[in-house]
Amino acid sequence: MKSSFRFLSKVVDASKIKRTVLISQSNDIYTNLALEDWIYRKYDFESHNILMLWCNDPCVVIGRYQNPWLEANVADLPYVTDAGVALARRNSGGGTVYHDRGNLNLTFFTSKKQYDRKVNLRLIKVAIYKEYGLMVDISPRDDLVVGDLKVSGTAAKLGRLSAYHHCTLLVDANKTNISRALQKESSEIKTTASRSIRSKVTNLCDQNSAITVDGLISAIGREFLLPADDDFQYVNPTNAAFPELDKIRANLGEWEWCFGRTPKFTVTKSFIIPSKFLVDGRDQKLGVVITVENGRISDVQLNDSTGLFSLEALMINRLRECKFTPETVDGLIQSLLEEKYKFVSDCVRQVMTSI
Amino acid sequence: MVIQRVIPRVALLINHSTTLNKAYNSRNVVLRLISTSQCNFAERYFTKKHEWVEVEGKIGIVGISDYAQSALGDVVYAQLPDVDSVLSQKDECGALESVKAASELYSPVSGRVVEKNESVEETPSLINTSCYDKGWLFKVELTNDKEITALMNESQYKEFLKSDEHH
Repeated sequence: MKSSFRFLSKVVDASKIKRTVLISQSNDIYTNLALEDWIYRKYDFESHNILMLWCNDPCVVIGRYQNPWLEANVADLPYVTDAGVALARRNSGGGTVYHDRGNLNLTFFTSKKQYDRKVNLRLIKVAIYKEYGLMVDISPRDDLVVGDLKVSGTAAKLGRLSAYHHCTLLVDANKTNISRALQKESSEIKTTASRSIRSKVTNLCDQNSAITVDGLISAIGREFLLPADDDFQYVNPTNAAFPELDKIRANLGEWEWCFGRTPKFTVTKSFIIPSKFLVDGRDQKLGVVITVENGRISDVQLNDSTGLFSLEALMINRLRECKFTPETVDGLIQSLLEEKYKFVSDCVRQVMTSI
Repeated sequence: MVIQRVIPRVALLINHSTTLNKAYNSRNVVLRLISTSQCNFAERYFTKKHEWVEVEGKIGIVGISDYAQSALGDVVYAQLPDVDSVLSQKDECGALESVKAASELYSPVSGRVVEKNESVEETPSLINTSCYDKGWLFKVELTNDKEITALMNESQYKEFLKSDEHH
């Protein structure tokens, strides 16, 4: 048995592995994630390793099993930049990152057997040091750091035969926008979704002003191809070149994927009841508890010790099966005249916008 | 743990096969009891991709091996196949997330999912702490017995782990 397995096993000589650097000409996050997925599914990496380099317009990218409402300021994203900040869910694990044109993304495609994040991170480290003389370190969590500031986040996807490790490199990203898109007060959420570990970040250009995205593409690409240096390819991710890419892109851009795939969660928030509704006028609170499954409201409960809102508690159940978005409630509020119900609906809306 | 799990099964075997036992002399019964651990090993089958299947009648219980959980590291999220989904052998049927990596989960056997381990969904670390017991992943109503016979038994799997090919 043992010898037959040995006989079957193919030993791949590392020096014979073909290497290619692909530079995506798209800056659309959904297109680039689709291209990444396409390459992962269609290629055999046993004797051909690929490094894909890509940059995106402003967007927040969450991990496969994360909760966008927990990780990003979902309600504010359209207003963070003039064109807004997109939200995308990727197929790999790990935490949430912010991308803009000042951020370089690198995807290392290998066979599952060859998958080794440390090797890839060391390659980046060496390339940066050779080109710019800046020393970055690899943290135990596979982040690249300068001192105690993070310049790169890592995530990976492992399949039966193929795998990829991708990471970000903050070169000259807009830090104000990073904070506006991601920084938030912790809400009271109960969930099994994986949570990001929040870290302080820095741009590589703040450490060495000579560092640019283009400079890094060239330096890291060359390091990856060593000893050869001739296989840089610019790719235009279109349906003609990559059959059915549009379909993958469409799925990745859908609400059902980005928000609908969120692991079940329950969010609780309490609100001060306006004195006009109270007989004795003392401070009293109304609790709102919303459970969300597949991005849709599966239950809304009111914690109401005053007993004032029992009718509203029943009516608010009309929100069941609706998407967990403020627009859902907006439709309701406009058609309402009754003040107490308007108050309750507004509380529910605030849970959605302030989560 | 192995011994605790084995004893009731041997008892079951003896109760259900009284006619068979009558044919054996007492020495044979003693021999059978001594070889109980092998009896248990024979019931759990492994794939080259480090999934295991334990067969109870028509039901196959699926999990990942100790080698696999240790290679993954701390599992923080488990996405398991929904009950009633129909799987073919080697179908992608879920994923496990550990240290920033989402590892696709493949079904080692064909059949209809009859149960998933909700405790694992709630507490994914059970896969690390108890991969052969509390950390099972899902149960399948088997449709192809031949798939099981093509898998490795525990001793074959141990040999396989010693070989170069398993990475």
